[in-house]
Amino acid sequence: MSGRARGGKIRAPRRALTKDDVDCESVWEVLHRAFREIHARNASQLSFEELFRNAYKLVLKKKGEFLFENVKSLEISILDTDVKSRIVDLATPSLLLSGSSETSSVEKRTAGERFISALTKSYQDYSIEVGMITDVLMYMDRISTAEGRKPSIFTIALGLFRERILRAAVSEELSMSILDLLEMTLLDMIALERSGEMIDRPLIKASCRMLENLYETITEEESTKLYLTSFEPKYLDASRDYYRNEGQLLLQEADATTFCSQASRRLKEESERCQQSLSRVTEPKIIAVIEKELIAAHIAEVINLPGTGIRAMITNDKIDDLRNLYDLVHRIDQRLKPLKDAVHNLVLEVGEEINKSALQTASEKQQPKAPEKKEPGKGPPPKPLNQQTVAAVNWVEEVLKLKAKYDKLWERAFRCDGVMEKSLEISFQDFINGNSRAPEFVSLFLDQYLKSNGKDKTEAEVDALLDSGVTLLQYLADKDILESYYHKHMAKRLLMNKTISRDVERSMLSKMKVKLGNQFTVKMEGLLKDVELSENLTKQYKDYAAKLEAKKSSKVDLEMHVLTMTVWPIFTSESELRSCVYPAEVAQVKESFEKFYLGKHTGRKLTWMHHMGEATMRATFKKDGQAVTYEVAVPTFCMMVLMLFNDHEKLTFDEIQQLTNIPTEQLIRTMQSVAVAPKTRLLKKEPMSRDVNPTDEFSHNPDFKHQFRKFKVALVSEQSNKVENAEERKETQKKADDQRGLLVDAAVVRIMKARKSLTHQQLMTETIQILSSRFQPEVAMIKKKIETLIDREYLERGPDPANPSYNYLA
Amino acid sequence: MSGNSILRKDQLEVSLHNEKKLIEEGVLKEDNPLDVSDNFRRLCEASRRGDLKVCQEMVQEGVNINAKDQYDYTPLILASLCGHYETVQLLLESGALCERDTFQGERCLYNALNDRIRNLLLSYDYSKSTDPLQPLASHLTSLLYRTQPKTSDITVTGSTENDSFNLHKFILAARSPYFKKKLDAAPETTTWKLPSSIPPPSFGIALKHLYLGELPRELGGGPGTGFTDSEVLAGVDRISKHLEIKTLSELILDNSDRRLARQRRQDEIQIGGSQIGAWFQDNVMRHAITTLTSKADDVKWDKNNGVFADILLRADEDEDEEEEDATIALISEQSKNTNVLGIPLAGSARPSRSPSRTRSARKSMLFPCHKAMLIRSEYFMTMFDSAFKEAQNTPHLQIVPIDCSPEVLKIVLTFFYTEKADFGLDLAIDVLFAADMLFLEKLKTKAAVVISTLGNGTATGMQTEDQREDLDINIYDILHAAWTTRVQRLEEFAARYIAYRLEQYIDDPAFAEIVKESASRINARQETDSIEILDDIRFYLSERFRLRFEDTGFDEAMAAEEAQLEQAVAEDGKQQPLPVWGTEMPADEGVDMTSPPREPESETEVPSDSLMTEGVIRTLDGEIAGDEFEQDAMNYQILLGKIDALLDKLKLDA
Repeated sequence: MSGRARGGKIRAPRRALTKDDVDCESVWEVLHRAFREIHARNASQLSFEELFRNAYKLVLKKKGEFLFENVKSLEISILDTDVKSRIVDLATPSLLLSGSSETSSVEKRTAGERFISALTKSYQDYSIEVGMITDVLMYMDRISTAEGRKPSIFTIALGLFRERILRAAVSEELSMSILDLLEMTLLDMIALERSGEMIDRPLIKASCRMLENLYETITEEESTKLYLTSFEPKYLDASRDYYRNEGQLLLQEADATTFCSQASRRLKEESERCQQSLSRVTEPKIIAVIEKELIAAHIAEVINLPGTGIRAMITNDKIDDLRNLYDLVHRIDQRLKPLKDAVHNLVLEVGEEINKSALQTASEKQQPKAPEKKEPGKGPPPKPLNQQTVAAVNWVEEVLKLKAKYDKLWERAFRCDGVMEKSLEISFQDFINGNSRAPEFVSLFLDQYLKSNGKDKTEAEVDALLDSGVTLLQYLADKDILESYYHKHMAKRLLMNKTISRDVERSMLSKMKVKLGNQFTVKMEGLLKDVELSENLTKQYKDYAAKLEAKKSSKVDLEMHVLTMTVWPIFTSESELRSCVYPAEVAQVKESFEKFYLGKHTGRKLTWMHHMGEATMRATFKKDGQAVTYEVAVPTFCMMVLMLFNDHEKLTFDEIQQLTNIPTEQLIRTMQSVAVAPKTRLLKKEPMSRDVNPTDEFSHNPDFKHQFRKFKVALVSEQSNKVENAEERKETQKKADDQRGLLVDAAVVRIMKARKSLTHQQLMTETIQILSSRFQPEVAMIKKKIETLIDREYLERGPDPANPSYNYLA
Repeated sequence: MSGNSILRKDQLEVSLHNEKKLIEEGVLKEDNPLDVSDNFRRLCEASRRGDLKVCQEMVQEGVNINAKDQYDYTPLILASLCGHYETVQLLLESGALCERDTFQGERCLYNALNDRIRNLLLSYDYSKSTDPLQPLASHLTSLLYRTQPKTSDITVTGSTENDSFNLHKFILAARSPYFKKKLDAAPETTTWKLPSSIPPPSFGIALKHLYLGELPRELGGGPGTGFTDSEVLAGVDRISKHLEIKTLSELILDNSDRRLARQRRQDEIQIGGSQIGAWFQDNVMRHAITTLTSKADDVKWDKNNGVFADILLRADEDEDEEEEDATIALISEQSKNTNVLGIPLAGSARPSRSPSRTRSARKSMLFPCHKAMLIRSEYFMTMFDSAFKEAQNTPHLQIVPIDCSPEVLKIVLTFFYTEKADFGLDLAIDVLFAADMLFLEKLKTKAAVVISTLGNGTATGMQTEDQREDLDINIYDILHAAWTTRVQRLEEFAARYIAYRLEQYIDDPAFAEIVKESASRINARQETDSIEILDDIRFYLSERFRLRFEDTGFDEAMAAEEAQLEQAVAEDGKQQPLPVWGTEMPADEGVDMTSPPREPESETEVPSDSLMTEGVIRTLDGEIAGDEFEQDAMNYQILLGKIDALLDKLKLDA
């Protein structure tokens, strides 16, 4: 170099640059020989340092291009001669004739395995060898890639492998390339595995990895892996065909259970295959294929397969099958449409059945009543449940059973799926509200178990029953009707002292409060409060009376409930409020209490509800010189009647009525219970018959006998204390309607007050939305109510009749 | 500065006071200690003047560049205050700290003369200018987990099979006096049993420490390991006594204060680095053997040797170095009789005068090295990880020749083991090539820095340098080296160097060659493509003459003046401001070399800086110029014209 003449402190680089005359050819010759050795797997005696230095020198001398091209052509010649021949030899005719049946599958299989393993082996070897060469040429790669000009020699070599080996024709005659043959063989093997044979998975995995490491172009973009561009689409196509066929076959011959288990097994198999033999990338894709071809195409049909479909599964509690089914449906449709619909229909069907049988039982009540009532003679008859109650309890129990079943299914088969939960809820709502008497039934059911006569059940059981009863509440659309029934039933329980305990009532209320809201239970809580207050009052009165006692003694103990009239749903027809004539002793106590109470609270009015009362009296019967004293609990009216017989030997019905002033209807029932009812015939009736006529005579019955010393005379009821007759029911309905009217009014006014002005449509939707928590309002009713509100000048119509709207007037 | 992180003045004072107190108590170390040594004064002076060469020399002397002078100035502050961009860059690259939110750091930023320097300072945040030893430390730490290629030569086993550690004797010996004694006594040991009293996690921590790793925040005890934290801690205590590494348990306890921890760690790495460095000097360097090249390959070293080497590196002396002292002690044949440990006994290496003391007696040096350290270079990494000969197991240590002189190899090895790279200009180019071959970017940069600083003479365009002796550098070689090894920085350096001395080179035929070569470097060159070297030279040429014009905002002041002048010289419509760097000279603007430069044009170019003083004010053409400013302007035009003429001659269009 001319510059060196300047000498000086800095020295020119001595080694690489000094000898200008590097003999490219001889250096290349060294490298060439070494590379051949490497390809012959004979590298252990080659010195990395020496090779590297030679390559480095060439590059430094700006002979990189020369080196690069030489390496490239060397690789081509190696691929074309050594590597290719090894592979092509194994592409035996038996392997190539894909369709022909003559080649036995075993032979073909072994040939295939040999072919694949040879190919993957030579790929692996080749890439290791090229890796070593790349190491040697590291400096060249570094320079050329740094300048962004050329891909690494490794990439080039792999690209050559792809072009020279995979893309090469298998033989002269055939146009099929080695890659095609490989893919075909792979697909064949996978098909074999699908039909249940064992195949060499690691081998397949190795060949897939090879395809994954090779790219379409030298830029090596992720998406141009041979695996993705070539093999995977073919694999997916083949799978699509396969599963389309399999789906049809399965539907033709197998049942739903087999279908589901087969489908889930296929899913598992495929994802396993992707992990073990192919590539994870394929997993979602192949799963999608199965979902589409096998599941989505057939699932609706499978669900409805007669005999084995979902109906059979649910009926026979095939939890596992159902779960399989659910999983499959869940895969293809998050909203579970086919499954949801099928289950919905099933629930409705069964529910309808339940409804029908319950209503049937209920309507049978009139006829069998008489024999049932008369019949019990043997032993202490369990208090015969009223037919209505039976129907109600049965109905509720059936519903609960159904619900329990579906809850179990939901939990165990449907994996607590939210969509299913919602759908089941709707199904239950639909059929429960399909029974117009559902609120009454539910209330009756609760009543049944809140009363002491659920005694054959343990407390825990009752609790559970009540709990499940409460769960039904939320399905009811007409909650206000339920409320009025429950209210009535509860009032009776409390007054009649039939409730198990007040704590239970209270806990029941709080449960309801949770489900239905505060408003619902306000009235019921009022009941409990009154009862408690009354207890206190009784105690206070007793103290008060005790003081009076000193002056005059009374044989009568008074226990009373003071009830707030508005809270208690007790019929208050005029006839019943008519004041009756009490026996003197009792009248005295009554007056004293009135004095006590009114003295305590001024401005209140006490009204005595005679028909609700009860008295315990001691009666002595003398027979054959023996005096038997019974303690009898009787309704107030009975007490009044019986007391008459202290003074009279014989009285006619009319006389009794005159003396007591009891309303006729009540008196008839009273007399029936003390003179007709077979067990409690305290009085003799002349003539003896079931019906009571005004002229009938009653007298003391000396032959009376009862197995217990203490017993109770039940008022022959107006059919039952629990169940209403048709008329009453109508009345309840009417009451409920009135109540609803008020609620609708209130809701409409509230909305309008807030909004000032709304269109008709908006007002309707808002009103319905607000009210639906209590009941399902009828549109007609709302319309009517709006009319009346307009009449009462709360609202006015909007100016545009084409677009009806309302304005609030304040 | 982002507003919310600013401390109020009183808060700042308090924190400064607290810091001072801590420093006085010796808890904290002063980041910028006072230094009144002569060398430091020279460094400060050089930073002030922007004298790259002296700066580099002082840095290589080992002056603490983060120290401060009696006026509380650090070299970095001085350089940035005086606006020497290259000097600031050199200082930062050499480890000068400019950390935000410290007193000195903010001061430095605030004082920076211009935005260019300020941005440079900001780009070297603390995160970048970490401890210069950090790469070494992290390499050592990585050795603990690396399995490929196998570099470990001793296995420490705990009570169970799982608790075994694959370690390196030379690190253990360098870092732990205990191991040093043990291994000195029995270098062939390949296993060591961990005392059962020490839990393996504790030993793991100790190892981390020995391998200069960051100590873990968690002790690693607790459920599943079979040891509680306190047991591990006690174990650490015991093992540190056992291995005689006393600072360890202190370090582990003092993990709380971040700044303190950082300083401790820095100290620790410092110590570790110097321990390994010392060990390297004592063993690898001392046991390097010199032999005749012809016999170098016959040297047989046993695998078990006192320096625990697992590879020998060979470097041959240059063939044409006759002036090399031929009387260097040669290792005679019998000196290859090794002692038990396989180390050639230094004492027995009797100098045997080669009978023919002619120039043909080429010698080689063999360095016993450790693969563990060599694999810091990708070259060796690939070599030892491959299936080639070097990676094979042989009965004796393999000898790997490295294509460089022994001195260069020494520098490379020193860099491997100590992260230090101090060498002079004379070796710089060789080191550059060796580093390039071995893929050692850092060393390459270092070599480039050495060349571009030491070779530069003074940085600025002082005319005095024309008188200076700077023929000690062959800029063409450097430029070639820069091209071959692709170091941008050196290319720029060469361009600058030439630009500042263009008068000397412009007529040199070799310069024309270089320009031609530069043009041919662009593949498929288009007619309009520029020639890199000339672009660079033009840029630096304008810098040379315009000086710090652009930075200082004089442009605006001048613009007004210029406008006036322009009116005065309105007759010349073609008047143009000087070409800004990077833009091409329009072809028709080419200045006729023979025509005298136009006066008005030179008027616009008057630099305000009057650093240039010279007795005779003459242009390069020999024309008399009005004053030195005019002279500069004229010279500038003349040189530009010469470049164009050169292009014409070379038939290159640019």
